[in-house]
Amino acid sequence: MASTLPLWILVITAFALTAWRSRRYAVALANAPAAARFDRPMLRLQGVMVAIGMHRKMLRKPLSGVLHAIIFISFFVLLTATIDAFGSRLFPGFSLAPIGGETWIAALQDIFSVLMLVGVGLALYQRYVLRPARFDGSSGSDAAIIYVLIVLIVASLLLEAAARIVGGADGSWRPVASALAGLLDRAGMSAHAGEELFYWVHVGAILAFLVYIPGSKHRHMFLAAPNIYFRSLEPRGLAPAVPEAREAPGIDSLGQFDWKQQLDLLSCTECGRCQAVCPAHAAGLPLSPKLLITDLRDALAAGPSAAPLVGGVISEETLWACTTCRACMEACPVEIEHLPKIIDMRRHLVDEGRVSPGLQEALSNLTRLGNSMGKPSKMRARWTRELGFPVKDAREEPVDVLWFVGDYASYDPRVQEITRKVAELLTAAGVDFGILFDAERNSGNDVRRAGEEGLFETLAQSNIDEIKACSFNRIMTTDPHSLNALKNDYQHFGAAFEVLHYTALLAELIAAGKLDLHVADGARVTYHDPCYLGRYNGGFDAPRELIRAAGYTLHDMPRCRENSFCCGAGGGRIWQGDDGVTERPSENRIREALSLGDVAYFVVACPKDKVMYTAAIDALGVADRLKVVDIAELLVPRTSQALEMPTVETT
Amino acid sequence: MNILVILRMIPDSAGELQLAEDGRSIDREWLDFQLNDFDDHALEEAILLKEAGGAKVTAVAVGEGANRVLQMAAARGADEVVALQSEEDAMISSREIAASIAAMARAKSADLVLCGVQSSEDVFGQLAPYVGALLDWPHVSGTNRIVANGAVLRVTQERGAGVAVTYELATPAVLGVQTASKAPRYVSGSKLREASKTPIGRAMPESSGFERSAEIITLRLPVQGGSGENLGGNAETVADRLVTILAAKGLARN
Ligand code: SF4
Ligand code: SF4
Repeated sequence: MASTLPLWILVITAFALTAWRSRRYAVALANAPAAARFDRPMLRLQGVMVAIGMHRKMLRKPLSGVLHAIIFISFFVLLTATIDAFGSRLFPGFSLAPIGGETWIAALQDIFSVLMLVGVGLALYQRYVLRPARFDGSSGSDAAIIYVLIVLIVASLLLEAAARIVGGADGSWRPVASALAGLLDRAGMSAHAGEELFYWVHVGAILAFLVYIPGSKHRHMFLAAPNIYFRSLEPRGLAPAVPEAREAPGIDSLGQFDWKQQLDLLSCTECGRCQAVCPAHAAGLPLSPKLLITDLRDALAAGPSAAPLVGGVISEETLWACTTCRACMEACPVEIEHLPKIIDMRRHLVDEGRVSPGLQEALSNLTRLGNSMGKPSKMRARWTRELGFPVKDAREEPVDVLWFVGDYASYDPRVQEITRKVAELLTAAGVDFGILFDAERNSGNDVRRAGEEGLFETLAQSNIDEIKACSFNRIMTTDPHSLNALKNDYQHFGAAFEVLHYTALLAELIAAGKLDLHVADGARVTYHDPCYLGRYNGGFDAPRELIRAAGYTLHDMPRCRENSFCCGAGGGRIWQGDDGVTERPSENRIREALSLGDVAYFVVACPKDKVMYTAAIDALGVADRLKVVDIAELLVPRTSQALEMPTVETT
Repeated sequence: MNILVILRMIPDSAGELQLAEDGRSIDREWLDFQLNDFDDHALEEAILLKEAGGAKVTAVAVGEGANRVLQMAAARGADEVVALQSEEDAMISSREIAASIAAMARAKSADLVLCGVQSSEDVFGQLAPYVGALLDWPHVSGTNRIVANGAVLRVTQERGAGVAVTYELATPAVLGVQTASKAPRYVSGSKLREASKTPIGRAMPESSGFERSAEIITLRLPVQGGSGENLGGNAETVADRLVTILAAKGLARN
């Protein structure tokens, strides 16, 4: 056929151009440090199936999910048309006809062409009419070019088939093309000229799409699947260790990111789901996890430049704004890992001593005294003095449960009261427990996430040595941050402790009938899932069981469980100032609870939360409408006086 | 330039202070010790001088926990670190340690001795003047900026109300640092871990040679005030309560 040669030339040119446009990425990935992501292939594959096959995360936003699924399926069906279009002319004699190319495949192509257009229509409606804020900062022109190319490809496909029908081909399997054929016929277009014109428009648009992709978010067509396949299979609560090959603890150039971290950058779809859930972004701080990724990506695409990575491409304020709540990673449909990047860049800042005064003070206190407040270790167990009974020293005698108390629960007078309540509950249930007294140090969870790896190691090692010297069966803590460090991060030092959150232990005790509680009359309360208990460690159900056991009815906020909204204190944020914050995440959250209209208690299960949310309620001046209570306060043994429920006006 | 910087460990004021049995000192057994804040600034100034024009910084620490602080000094850039032995469980008296420091300054051929302007155990800020007098070197205290130009130092001293004076003096000299030109830097845990391998020198104290001029005869802890009373938020009841309290204390008639 006369068009074979020109088509070959066109195809080869397009592939060459595509390769040329991808060269930087290919070189960057080839030179990147290693990452161990080749283990457990079946598990990896399974994740890809769920993420792509079932569109699991995509469907959390129904409109987006459905329209993407339509486009996605249509794409695969129309791929047959593409194979046909190129195959038939590149290799004369090739045809899909023997397997149904002119019958059922033709019918499918016909129908899915229309569906594809419907999908694109919905996408246009979403992007240009609904305009969700998560698209702020995404490239508008990139999206527009893609829409135009898709419409061109699909329309030319239909019109080419229509022209063939005008020329006498069988249209019975192609109802849509047949209808269009009528129009073409009336327009008086010659069948052969029409077929040729639309054919070349079709293949031209496809090749243009191909050449365009390397510079577009549509790279995700090729990279989403591998990016999900190579996702991290480590426990979610394990921050990545500093690779031994790396000289300094942190990262200060793009090339130091391992290949998976770089692949992440190329896979971003700019969907903005991460941005929509980010508490730092909502607070008006200069951090959008989406822009973090796309800024890094653009720097990668631009190649080596004079601007430094940390403090240049990504500003220091951006890095310090993150609460490490993990909501972005939970939301990302292509499993991009924002946090490891942020932590690695923070590690560089810390190593250079570039920390804010507040953070410097906290870290210096932690270095010197093992707690962020600058209090002497000897005062750590002071809260026990006001208990009516002694607390065992786990260093001196064996205990069943070793209670790792944590800084806030030990030192903060507002939280000590709750710490004592927990001690009373454990005693009422007959639990044999003890604490480490002044030998306990901050667990290092947030120290590590603030990028202070060396100090984390010192704190962790000290705790591990103390814990290992004790005789106990399980560790319990009220603090989700300590829970996470002890359970996950300490694995880096070969420590494998069984660590429980107090909600889990209390739920267990209640189920075993060891705690006889006052039962409330079903009053409605809401519950805040702490990031490090819920999203990080899957502790969603025990707190809910406790609320039920105490006789309260849980009215969950819209953002609950995996989608819980961070209080704003994590990852070292609690030690930083509020500069640039337009709305504190904790206040945003209290507003959400107030909008439920019928809850009097805001139940928390993290010592920091009692502090954060009480402050938020005071700042908003709504102390008469909502009260922060720790879950331990809801659980009142029958031997004590029942909790009095404040009355709420329901709205 | 050789710089000698003095780091004194003082009782952590956040701890619970208790009097020793003799009533003339605090019981140091249960206390945590920390680096005197002004000395921290002196160290920073020494490191800044080193970075600006090159110098060899020797850090000398005195008191409990000296080793830990010397590792920190090494991590921040001190070239040599020395722990000066001192009497255990006793406060660090400037009069007692001045001779040892003067001797070290000579032994290390120091051009500049830096220390904090004062400490909680030397509120008169006597260390720098003592050492200056013993060495017969010029001395300025209360500095907040030191610039070295060869053997010539320009030293700025804060006089309050925004007034600052600048002295020019030739080394060798002794300076009491109020604040460093820049706030003390943060040293990361990984740098501290590396520095933990730095060998720490030991120095024995010299006898002070000073006659005692005065002695502490008694030490008193701040009296714990009674706890406050919340008078509530209602203006009328607050006013009532106030009047009652004032009357009870004999400050007003009811
Ligand atoms: S971890 Fe949380 S605060 Fe940090 S970027 Fe992600 S969503 Fe934002
Ligand atoms: S990082 Fe993930 S969630 Fe965020 S914009 Fe990119 S693809 Fe979407």
